[in-house]
Amino acid sequence: MKPLSRRTLLRGTGAALALPWLEAMAAKGPAAKAPVRMAVLYMPNGVHPDNWTPAGVGREFVLNKTLSPLEAFKKDLIVATNLWNQASKGGDGHYVKTSGFLTCTTVTKTLGVDINCNGVSMDQVAAQRSGQQTPFPSFELGVNPVTTGVDRNVGYTRVYGSHIAWSGHTNPLAREINPRSVFERLLRSTRPAGNSAKSDAQLLDLVLDDAKQLRTQLGRADQVRMDEYLSVVRSLEERLERSTSPAQRAWKPRVAIDPAAKPEAQPKDYADHVRLMLDMIALAFQTDSTRIATFMFSNAVSNQNFSFVDGVKGGHHSISHHMDDPEQMRQYQLIGQWHVAQYAYLLQKLAAIPEGESNVLHNSMILFGAGFRDGNKHDPHNLPLVLAGRAGGRLNTGQHLIYSPDSPLSNLYVSMLDAFGTPVERFADSTGPARGVLV
Amino acid sequence: MLKFLLFLAPAAFAADPFTFAEAQGLLRTHCAKCHSGKVALGGFNFSQFPDEASITTRSKLWARAANLIREGEMPPPGNPAVALEDRDRFSTWITTTLHKAACADGITPPAFPLRRLNRNEYTATVRDLLNIPVNAGRNLPIDGAGGEGFDNAAETLFISPIHAEKYLEAAKIALDYAMRDPKSRAAFLTPTPDARATLTALLPRAFRRPVQPAEIDRYVALFAAAEKRGDTYDDAISYAIQGVMMSPHFLFRLENATHDYAMASRLSYFLWGGMPDAELFKLAAEGKLADPEVLSAQTVRMLKDQKSREFAENFVGQWLSIRELGRDIKPDPKVAGDYYETEVESGIQYEPALFFHEILMQNEPLTYLIDAPYSVVSSKLARYYGMVPTGIRQQPVRFKLPPGSHRGGLLGMAAVLAVSSYPTRTSPVLRGKWILESLLGTPPPPPPPNVPELKEHEGGTPQTLRARLEQHRANPTCASCHNRIDPMGFGLENYDSVGRWRDTDAGQPIDASGVLPDGTKYNGPDELKKVLFAKKNQIVRNLAGKMLGYALGRGLTTEDECAVDQIVTAVERDGYKAHTLITEIVRSVPFRLETKQ
Repeated sequence: MKPLSRRTLLRGTGAALALPWLEAMAAKGPAAKAPVRMAVLYMPNGVHPDNWTPAGVGREFVLNKTLSPLEAFKKDLIVATNLWNQASKGGDGHYVKTSGFLTCTTVTKTLGVDINCNGVSMDQVAAQRSGQQTPFPSFELGVNPVTTGVDRNVGYTRVYGSHIAWSGHTNPLAREINPRSVFERLLRSTRPAGNSAKSDAQLLDLVLDDAKQLRTQLGRADQVRMDEYLSVVRSLEERLERSTSPAQRAWKPRVAIDPAAKPEAQPKDYADHVRLMLDMIALAFQTDSTRIATFMFSNAVSNQNFSFVDGVKGGHHSISHHMDDPEQMRQYQLIGQWHVAQYAYLLQKLAAIPEGESNVLHNSMILFGAGFRDGNKHDPHNLPLVLAGRAGGRLNTGQHLIYSPDSPLSNLYVSMLDAFGTPVERFADSTGPARGVLV
Repeated sequence: MLKFLLFLAPAAFAADPFTFAEAQGLLRTHCAKCHSGKVALGGFNFSQFPDEASITTRSKLWARAANLIREGEMPPPGNPAVALEDRDRFSTWITTTLHKAACADGITPPAFPLRRLNRNEYTATVRDLLNIPVNAGRNLPIDGAGGEGFDNAAETLFISPIHAEKYLEAAKIALDYAMRDPKSRAAFLTPTPDARATLTALLPRAFRRPVQPAEIDRYVALFAAAEKRGDTYDDAISYAIQGVMMSPHFLFRLENATHDYAMASRLSYFLWGGMPDAELFKLAAEGKLADPEVLSAQTVRMLKDQKSREFAENFVGQWLSIRELGRDIKPDPKVAGDYYETEVESGIQYEPALFFHEILMQNEPLTYLIDAPYSVVSSKLARYYGMVPTGIRQQPVRFKLPPGSHRGGLLGMAAVLAVSSYPTRTSPVLRGKWILESLLGTPPPPPPPNVPELKEHEGGTPQTLRARLEQHRANPTCASCHNRIDPMGFGLENYDSVGRWRDTDAGQPIDASGVLPDGTKYNGPDELKKVLFAKKNQIVRNLAGKMLGYALGRGLTTEDECAVDQIVTAVERDGYKAHTLITEIVRSVPFRLETKQ
């Protein structure tokens, strides 16, 4: 593989500088328990079905080829086998399985007019209940912009293939794909808010009045749109207010960001771009700017050219339709392994950030997965899923958990939401927590 | 008849429709077990519909049946499948029956839904409002698409928390620039500091309609608050304008009205992708935009303005999927030759839009999209195409194609050829699919859920791509669709994956011949164009539907299809002239939101 250019990588373990006052604070007494963070890395097009599942079960397991980049983190992993997403069974091969990945619901088939994922994604369930504690309730990140157009072959808007985070049934969350923009947002949020935040809040007050007044003149369907605008402006206003009134501010940046570590805005190279976005997740977690992040390696049906990986020649989606051809399958496996290696890179990065007596990885849970297993079959049975990090000690890692065939994926989400500190009784089609995940 | 908004399956008008008796035959053979007599799974029982007219009383139900059958979702797996041709003829029977009923009933256009400005519209509007050459929307998230496949569809213009933050930031960036540029200041600030006068002039433009004095007062109050805080005049007025630019009256298109200001905005966002200019505002104020003759004249004026390039780029980029080039679709540099040279790559990406724009500006026939005597290229792109670039330089210009150039029309453009290729090689399947979907408007149905394995015949895998595809078509499940898809794509095999001409591939001579399902034989791209030229009515109909969907910013309903009928008839009668298509769209019932025909 082509080495990453040093230029694009952030320096050291991150772009954060430890602040003297923080160390002083830490010395004062027993430090508060570090918060739990959660990230989900989604990969499109599935994985080679035969080189994923580890050999062995429970604590005695051997990583298969595709997961081999995770060898150093074996003790921090849970590999979950036999979970499936029943709600994403029908429909088409990709869109239903992307938007439904974190909602465990069946999205409405449409070119757009009645777009509805019929659920809220697991990350947003967590964000809606805990997001007030950090400057950003959650981060939605990606590398590629939303795919153009609607897919008339299968009858779905490609919006479904470009979003995994849904804050409401009809609200996919737009993603940030520019690493510099993310960096600048982080930079602003970790600095003391000045007068500009106050005057922004005043301005938004007037905007809210405009929107409320306009709302009264609208028909019902249009009111829904105006409500969306009201709600996003209100949340921005609240955030600005929180940042300007220190008394109310529960959140304190754990470290400051080095402004000189600014990444480039539009990395030319896909691999660089992926790593920079993962760097941003690490930085956001390190500074406690947000505790929830979702990241899409690419959109559904992506035909990203992976010829930069040694031994691969061609695009992801076309190779995923390997037709059981051994040569295609070999390349398909290499692409999957490349994705896992990027996941390992993020784990490495988080593990290298000390926090209290452990590190950020210890206090996180990072899920890696895809919406179906074999790209040649678009099959949502036995999904490829790995969870890493210990959620501050809540996760029982170092295991290969084999469930009975077709156990609900949503059970895993129930366990994750519990570990995150936002427990739910049920999530979509869940039947309980996933056995063995929690300590 | 009850009015429903029906969104029909694609390819609705492509096949020869069944008769009522034939449709009954299909239903009895394949659907009786679950949908007749006393059984009505999914609320559908075809025995309740004794004749053709009766299906129009439950149009929504039947439209759904058309979709399910066409896409092969019904009958469900495990039952004998319906042949592709019958699926098409059956669904065409339903859609044409519903279509006829809807048109006979007159068109009642649906509302023009509230929507935010999309990223491009935001940028163009800020540019015109403040007279700045800055891409103010560059940090906004890129919008997805709905309806007919465009990112101006109201239904998919969501608002995420990130939007509020980015709008605030974008307004600051734009105003920072505008306040420092004397040319821009002159466009929106009074010569001497006067907040009220400035806002009185700016607000109607920003909100694209007349404003009440009370509205102005509120923004003057915002200015005053900033001044009181100790801001300079510049900072305070900038702050008030930032408020204007965050207001939903600015950020949203509220054009669900027949009045002239709504019409002015619908026109300008359609043809310029941005806000109305002084002339449109003036005509709106005079109440003249209800006059169809004024509309036609304005349409032509707007098309001849350079701002219509925005329209050409947005429309063509999405209609033909060219926007994906450089995003999800990137030719592999190892096989791409000179493709990535700066001037070549941008020339390739812009060529289809510039060409389309030239057709619009010159009011040329839309059939030029199939074949044309010129293209719009720079000297480097001409050379890339193997032509001698006499008389052209760095700037793309209209260039008369020499005989035997194998260019002319969309199919000879590298952008089209690259966007329908894999990163490292060509694909007759992708190209065939591109022609069926983008040009003819008849996208193939989805492949069956479990694509069967490609069985290897004795003697191993055949060598060439064509042979492998022929083997694939030996499987009847694959053949039903691929007999339609692949033969269209073979004709373009003379172009490599980045659109350069080739006579051989890996030492083998190129075979660019194809046999279409109806038996038509052709050889090479020039003959393929003739095949498509014979289908020009279908191509123009597809284009008209796409463009109406773009103009309306939503998916088309059955009744909109009646408007498309009228538009296409006028365009055909007028020798396929480009201006006729656009003026007919602008004068159509759905665009004008007129309720009577």
